[in-house]
Amino acid sequence: MFVSLNLLLQNIANGLLIGCVYALVAMGLALQFGVMNVINFAHGEFVMLAMYITFFLSFSLGIPGELTLLFTFPIYFVFGYVVYKLVIDKVIDAPAVSQIGITIGLLILLQNLALAAWKAEPKAVQSTFLTGKINLGSVVVPVSRLVTAVVSVVVLFLLNWVLNKTYFGVSVRATSDDMRAAALMGVNVRRMYAVVFGLGCSIIAIAAAFIMTFQQVNPLAGLTWGLLSWVIVAMGGLGGVTGVLASGLILGVAEGLEITFWDPRASTAIIYLIFILVLWFKPKGLFGRR
Amino acid sequence: MLLEVKNIDVYYGMVQVLWGISFNVEKGELVTIVGSNGAGKTRTLLTIAGMKKPRSGRIIFNGKEINGLQPHQVAKKGISLVPEGRRLFPNLTVKENLLMGAYIKKAREKRDETLKEVFELFPRLEERKNQVARTLSGGEAQMLAIARGLMSRPLLLMLDEPSLGLAPKLVSEVFRSIEKLKKVGTTILLVEQNVAKGLEIADRGYVLENGRIVLQGEGKELLVNEKVRKAYLAI
Ligand SMILES: Nc1ncnc2c1ncn2[C@@H]1O[C@H](COP(=O)(O)OP(=O)(O)OP(=O)(O)O)[C@@H](O)[C@H]1O
Ligand SMILES: [Mg+2]
Repeated sequence: MFVSLNLLLQNIANGLLIGCVYALVAMGLALQFGVMNVINFAHGEFVMLAMYITFFLSFSLGIPGELTLLFTFPIYFVFGYVVYKLVIDKVIDAPAVSQIGITIGLLILLQNLALAAWKAEPKAVQSTFLTGKINLGSVVVPVSRLVTAVVSVVVLFLLNWVLNKTYFGVSVRATSDDMRAAALMGVNVRRMYAVVFGLGCSIIAIAAAFIMTFQQVNPLAGLTWGLLSWVIVAMGGLGGVTGVLASGLILGVAEGLEITFWDPRASTAIIYLIFILVLWFKPKGLFGRR
Repeated sequence: MLLEVKNIDVYYGMVQVLWGISFNVEKGELVTIVGSNGAGKTRTLLTIAGMKKPRSGRIIFNGKEINGLQPHQVAKKGISLVPEGRRLFPNLTVKENLLMGAYIKKAREKRDETLKEVFELFPRLEERKNQVARTLSGGEAQMLAIARGLMSRPLLLMLDEPSLGLAPKLVSEVFRSIEKLKKVGTTILLVEQNVAKGLEIADRGYVLENGRIVLQGEGKELLVNEKVRKAYLAI
């Protein structure tokens, strides 16, 4: 099979760019899972819903997709906080099966709601500031994707800073280390969980606002995002922000290579394949801790 | 009276593990509860800390009923538990562990001042302040656990077997630290299997057996008590 070097470079560049936002989306999950050990199968649907809300606000307010973030960031914090209180909190001490069951229920619910509200055909935001392309030699980079990648990395390192350098971050990590000991120190653990869940969702909202500048959304879009996120958490989630970023980049590039050498329609299969390989050879993740 | 525990019954599932326990701690006192494995010492402290709920009885702290409060609410009232097995935050540094000890609002304001005091008390911790807690030696870890418990400036410090699993030399060091704390006015409720050392430094003591308090008195008095000597001191 003959593959042009140009195409290969282009796809690797695409993969690196998309990998950054994969990492951001997964970071929301990694944070929630890392702190409260809850298995949330509806994570991808949270992303899908955030993408729809981005579309909806952009459309009805007539503002560029990326600016809807001003609204979706706080909305999604509240959304996460409420979902925690109403749903997750009830199964926080329950066995994994209950958590999987109840969050799969949430997944189906959100999918159905999206289908009823927006029908099956894909939606896209009509306006964005992020138009145009940049040529880097033979590689063409759309501005929307470039900005999305840069924002993703910036947010990841901002979060890293918050977790490592602020007192709030110390208390989040302490609760993650030993929630009972944290409670003895005076931490209201259940409230901390709700806040962290909200924060994880706010991170999703950031990602979704930028993803919509170059992607469409349909009611089934959540499945791939969910799978991606869990693969990334399995690969590097417990290694902190850098582990998540590296894992996101690996998946992005793997997809790029797959598209170059095979069929673009099989790119989700590659993600799954990597998941299996990681579970076989590195069950504790590539950047393991714990 | 700072702490009054009145007639509490505590169950583990269907099994009763504490039977009508009553005792009290006065401000400035060091009170020790001694008892062998499984006597119910840990359960008693966890119940005061709000980790377990008594089925009946009352717990009054600083004039207020605290029975039924969540652990974080009990912490706010000024009770600090240094739990069995230390329960440090393993991936946090020594300093971060200490800062977590000062989580409650009242303590947060005086955090830097308290940190200084605690470092004076345990200079070794200052040397290790940037070390991750899981890499500490057993003795250092116990010092950190006690120090973290002090960071909230508690009205009552509860210590659950601080000497457990330590080499004899370190055991003495831990008990010396406890005596030092008492000297500066800290009110302490100590739970110990090391009956001799536990009672020696105590103002008053209680002996817990199979979930019941069977003896009480001044520390020195209990040490020479015939029953205590036979059952716990093997004399
Ligand atoms: N997980 C458990 N399941 C069943 N019973 C338990 C459990 N934990 C504690 N118990 C019972 O509760 C009682 C009191 O235990 P507790 O841990 O308070 O004892 P202790 O005096 O602290 O003992 P030790 O000196 O060994 O720490 C014991 O009879 C113990 O068997
Ligand atoms: Mg015990």
